[in-house]
Amino acid sequence: MSASSSQALEYLELLPRQTHTKLYEQPSTVLAIFRCMLPHLAKSIVMAMLYMTGPFPSGDLDAWFKPDGKKDKEKALSVLEQLHIILGKQDSQRHISYELYKGFAHSLRQALTGGGTHRSFGVPSSQLDSNKVSVTFLDEYARKQWENILFYMVGSTVGLTGSNMVGQDIGEGTKALLRAGDFVKVAHGRVSITRTGFTFVLQETNAQVWSLLIVYLKHAPQLGMSETDVLSFLFMLGSLELGQDYTTSTLSPTQLQMLEDLSAFGIVYRASKTSQTFYPTRLAVTLTSDSGALSSDSLSSSLAPSSRSTPKGFIIIETNYRLYAYTSSLLQIAVLSLFTKLTTRFPNLVSGKLTKESITRAVKLGISSSQILSYLTSHAHPQMQKNQPFLPPTVMDQIRLWEYEGERVETTNGFLMKEFATESEYRDLVSYAESLGVLVWRNDAKRLMFVDRIEQISLYLGKRKNRGD
Amino acid sequence: MNAIDGTDRQIKTEEVPPPSLLAIVLDTNPHAWAHLSSTLPLSSAVSALLVFINAHLASGNANAIAVIASHTHRAAFLYPTPSSQTSKSNANGDVETNGGEKGNAALENPNKYRPFAIVEQEILNNLNSLLTETHELHLTSTPTTLVGGALSLALSYIAKSTLLASPVDTLVSENPLSALADSETMHAQRVPLTSRILIVSVSGDLANQYIPVMNSIFAAQRKRIPIDILKLAGDTVLLQQASDATGGVYVKPERPEGLLQYLMMAFLPDVTARRSLVMPSAGGVDFRAACFCHRKVVDIGYVCSVCLSIFCSPNLPDNLCLTCSSYLSLRSAQTATPALIPRKKKKKKRHGADSATPGGSTPVGSSTPLHG
Amino acid sequence: MADSDYEYMEDASDDDYIGDKVSSSTRAHSGAAGGKKRAQEKPRKLQAWETSRSVQKITESIVQEVEDGTRHMSIREKEEERKRKRLRKDTKPFQRGIIRHVVLVLDLSEAMLEKDMRPNRYITMIKYTQEYVREFFEQNPISQMSVLGMHDGLCIRVSELSGNPADHIAAIQGLRFPRDPEDIPKEPKGSPSLQNALELARATLYHTPSHGTREVIIVFGSLLSLDPGDIHQTIKACVRDRIRVSVIGMSARLKICSEIVTKTNAGDESEYVVATDQELLRELLLATTTPPVVRTPQATAIPAESTAALMMMGFPSRVVEDIPTLCACHGILTTGGYTCSRCSAKVCSLPITCPSCQLTLLLSTHLARSYHHLFPLRNWAEVSWKRAREKGSRECIGCLTVFPEIPDEDGESGGNNGRELNGVDRMQADGDDSEEQKASESSRYECRVCESHFCIDCDMFCHMVLHNCPGCLSRLNPASEAQSSRDVEMTG
Repeated sequence: MSASSSQALEYLELLPRQTHTKLYEQPSTVLAIFRCMLPHLAKSIVMAMLYMTGPFPSGDLDAWFKPDGKKDKEKALSVLEQLHIILGKQDSQRHISYELYKGFAHSLRQALTGGGTHRSFGVPSSQLDSNKVSVTFLDEYARKQWENILFYMVGSTVGLTGSNMVGQDIGEGTKALLRAGDFVKVAHGRVSITRTGFTFVLQETNAQVWSLLIVYLKHAPQLGMSETDVLSFLFMLGSLELGQDYTTSTLSPTQLQMLEDLSAFGIVYRASKTSQTFYPTRLAVTLTSDSGALSSDSLSSSLAPSSRSTPKGFIIIETNYRLYAYTSSLLQIAVLSLFTKLTTRFPNLVSGKLTKESITRAVKLGISSSQILSYLTSHAHPQMQKNQPFLPPTVMDQIRLWEYEGERVETTNGFLMKEFATESEYRDLVSYAESLGVLVWRNDAKRLMFVDRIEQISLYLGKRKNRGD
Repeated sequence: MNAIDGTDRQIKTEEVPPPSLLAIVLDTNPHAWAHLSSTLPLSSAVSALLVFINAHLASGNANAIAVIASHTHRAAFLYPTPSSQTSKSNANGDVETNGGEKGNAALENPNKYRPFAIVEQEILNNLNSLLTETHELHLTSTPTTLVGGALSLALSYIAKSTLLASPVDTLVSENPLSALADSETMHAQRVPLTSRILIVSVSGDLANQYIPVMNSIFAAQRKRIPIDILKLAGDTVLLQQASDATGGVYVKPERPEGLLQYLMMAFLPDVTARRSLVMPSAGGVDFRAACFCHRKVVDIGYVCSVCLSIFCSPNLPDNLCLTCSSYLSLRSAQTATPALIPRKKKKKKRHGADSATPGGSTPVGSSTPLHG
Repeated sequence: MADSDYEYMEDASDDDYIGDKVSSSTRAHSGAAGGKKRAQEKPRKLQAWETSRSVQKITESIVQEVEDGTRHMSIREKEEERKRKRLRKDTKPFQRGIIRHVVLVLDLSEAMLEKDMRPNRYITMIKYTQEYVREFFEQNPISQMSVLGMHDGLCIRVSELSGNPADHIAAIQGLRFPRDPEDIPKEPKGSPSLQNALELARATLYHTPSHGTREVIIVFGSLLSLDPGDIHQTIKACVRDRIRVSVIGMSARLKICSEIVTKTNAGDESEYVVATDQELLRELLLATTTPPVVRTPQATAIPAESTAALMMMGFPSRVVEDIPTLCACHGILTTGGYTCSRCSAKVCSLPITCPSCQLTLLLSTHLARSYHHLFPLRNWAEVSWKRAREKGSRECIGCLTVFPEIPDEDGESGGNNGRELNGVDRMQADGDDSEEQKASESSRYECRVCESHFCIDCDMFCHMVLHNCPGCLSRLNPASEAQSSRDVEMTG
């Protein structure tokens, strides 16, 4: 579960049960959810239960976990219940036992054995394509499309709008989507980036793709598309093979419509709008995996285009806050200039300095210090990566200090729980919340606690009540 | 809340479990599978294993797999396919071209996740060619299987993969004793690839490979690679010891038909997941040794001090070790432990001999009471 | 069984740990790329003011030689050569003293307060010796050890002779942090006395059975030894008692130390080493975990018959009990352990000497741990392009890594006569194991028995960790099984 897929997980968790049930009809979707969305232990639990003949009594499940694994178990179970993958049942003797939802189990078995006739892993085009495109072409195409989008967002703020080099030729649909996702806002005909937009830009490419697609998903009903259809198509795309052409003949009308939008993002490539085949690009095939190969250094894991074009990292930071970036990409320079005072530009290098003004300016724009740091870390030059941590600690601390100067209070949205009847009830709930990782604050003397998510807690409370009565 | 200290400098919390490499050693001993054919034929075992492999690959995006067959006359990689093997089979023709076509058909199967299809196809092809290559001559020559070789292959493959996943610091590799000491240094380093070995064993007696298997076990122990054992038939003390020494799982199913459930439940969790799971292991492990002369399992043995061969009786021909032919004195064997009396004697002697030591001066001191 | 020739070789290899790097590297160079190297050395002999033209000429010739991608090759070869140098050079199966009786003597004199190691020598030594004890018993499970300390002119006993690593580690730790809060930690104090240490070590080792080795390993930080008597008498007594002394110094080399070491090691001084920094100290300590070679009886002047013995040992099974019972070794209640095969007393851990009947109890795995010292994997040979072409090998047997392509025959025979010659040389010298380990031009390394080819990483792994040849073991009948009857006997 990486940062990128956790967004998708959050989205998925909020879907109602009907949608889940429908989604789980497709083995490819089930496999993708299994591979990317589930916490590590949840995978073990699902697999252990997959070929089990009967339900799994919770007592046995508890016995299977070591005492210190309890916290992880609770977390895994809560995700699984949230996603409607497992079902906790109570029999007459009040013994809880778990079993997998039939649809999910069936599809996952099919995905593992390759049985059935669901054709959900994409149907390769049968006839030979006369002008088959290469993988490098696809990478180039995806990179261009995606950078266009980013550039459209960043360009205005940095003041590069005048240059008509790249960035303005993105489709109306995409622009509308960016506005809808509150990534940019248009005022007086000028496009300016928003707070969420910055978050978006500074993410890794894979995470960016997911953020955009989630916005797309949320607006799918307005465009007359069914959410499940869209989702399962996305998951199918994630399980396709790069460089292989797939036929469009088996796709539903919704999916055909999507194909157009996705090719605007650079997620798939079609030779023309009427073409009978489509190619997934690297953006698509990495949707459900961080990387294809074993060489998954956490940094190179974003096999995505932007980090491709400039192999791995390019930024060097010295302890005196000077920054050197080996890049000629306008986009990267633009992003850097959001929080750096750039001074010099050479053909393959820009240099500048992180200053108090530049950081405070960025913070005012809505960029947080951790975003800056994670951007710098994930693009650190290989030379920097030899250090542990990659960035000089002084610089990291200073950037945070500069940010904290402006804000002394941190807010968290959530729920305050109070007026517990008994101490034991309070203790029980606190430990449950803690094991879920939703507990933000507690006061034992006043029996108060504050959580940032309530769904699981209320479920648990309900169960508790049942048990207690 | 605004405390700034070095502790949270690591922004990236490594929530992603490290990729895991699973090396499966499949015992394809035809003798043993013939015995099992009524309950669990090889074909269904292999298909269960393939589902298990898919489940493993699905459990992590960067998970990898290696399959090695330990056959009667050779141990060979089933996956990844050695390039020499493909070329050989391409050269000798028709069978393989058929297989190739079949392979393409399977690869384009829209009902199957493509990475799964590729792995399955290669394993099946290689297993087929291994089985067709087996002649009667091979079968009659030995009833057992080359687990030692297969384990060695698995370990060297894992070692290389680990090396590729994180090239060791030159500073560390400079150290001429790094291999000696790496049981200490390894855990200090970041281990980006966790590996484990699963042996699906059906053969019984492995005593003829005692030393190679033992060496492999120690190598695995040193590299912290658990060796899991799924014992479908037969019984070997050696493999029990392997799982016990390396902290692996040992399961001997009572009902081999339910192979898949055993695999999914007991063997799928990788090293990361095992930290919070209770894994089955062999309870009472038989650590008794087999003697080198009659292959008898002994409680009390006689060990040659030169080559550490174990014999079941102290009466060796000419008192020569059967392995290294050194002359072994039985006398010292019998008097090996009670050495206390000669030591006392010696002490007396030494008191006289080296009077220069401080101890030697005590007799002089003893004369002091005269004053009193 | 080992004649003195090999013995010498072994010693030379030990020499390497001290840092005899220069000589060994030149030796290495003189082989494969010898011609080239000599050409490079030549200009160095010319004085700088002498004609620059000749230098230029030579550099030109080097440039030409290197042009066709061999520069890249030579860098790779260098790298591999460096790696291979670490391989054990003594793969001849020596008789080694597997059953060792070691007295570890720690210097606890005030010289150990020196801060040239961080935080000081004393703490560094305590830290590393704990690690060392653990590794020692990993490598030599059936050996015995005792720890002594040279403190304020006396020699104190830190731990008794026993085979339980936990005891020793606890005792060493107890020097700094005594278990009994009443005790004062032993801070380094006064001067050391080598004589007292040797005498106490000699007494400790006196009753040990003759089939084991008697070794004293001294970690010595001082530059003096304050002895009550004539240390030379003690040295003579040590020699008489077959005690071998190794010294790991921390400051300058001392004449007396080298004399002790030379006399007790049959004229060989390589057991006296000096650690210049803490990394080296750790390495030097760990180097002594490899069992020593057994010298021919003449050197030790001990009748041959008593050096080998048949030892009675018990191989107990593990028992798991529901109700805790008393163990015979510590007298505490435990719910599991091992029962002695002879008297059924329960002990907590292995290896151990049964507290009631004195039978050595261990696991067969403990014995097996030492096998690779006895039956080392023979070093693999470098493979010339010619040989590679003959075998047509494309990838490593062990890890399936693809080898570099074999170049065309014509291009090869044209330009590289020297290399071909070297290849022939090597094939001739094949039998000699103790030959310097070099890099192979074709990145392949061949097992002499099964003729499989391996990559450098597998070569390293198989020789340093695995001690198996995956190639030989993957076949029923390795090509020439007659080569080493010993191996077959062991495996078959």
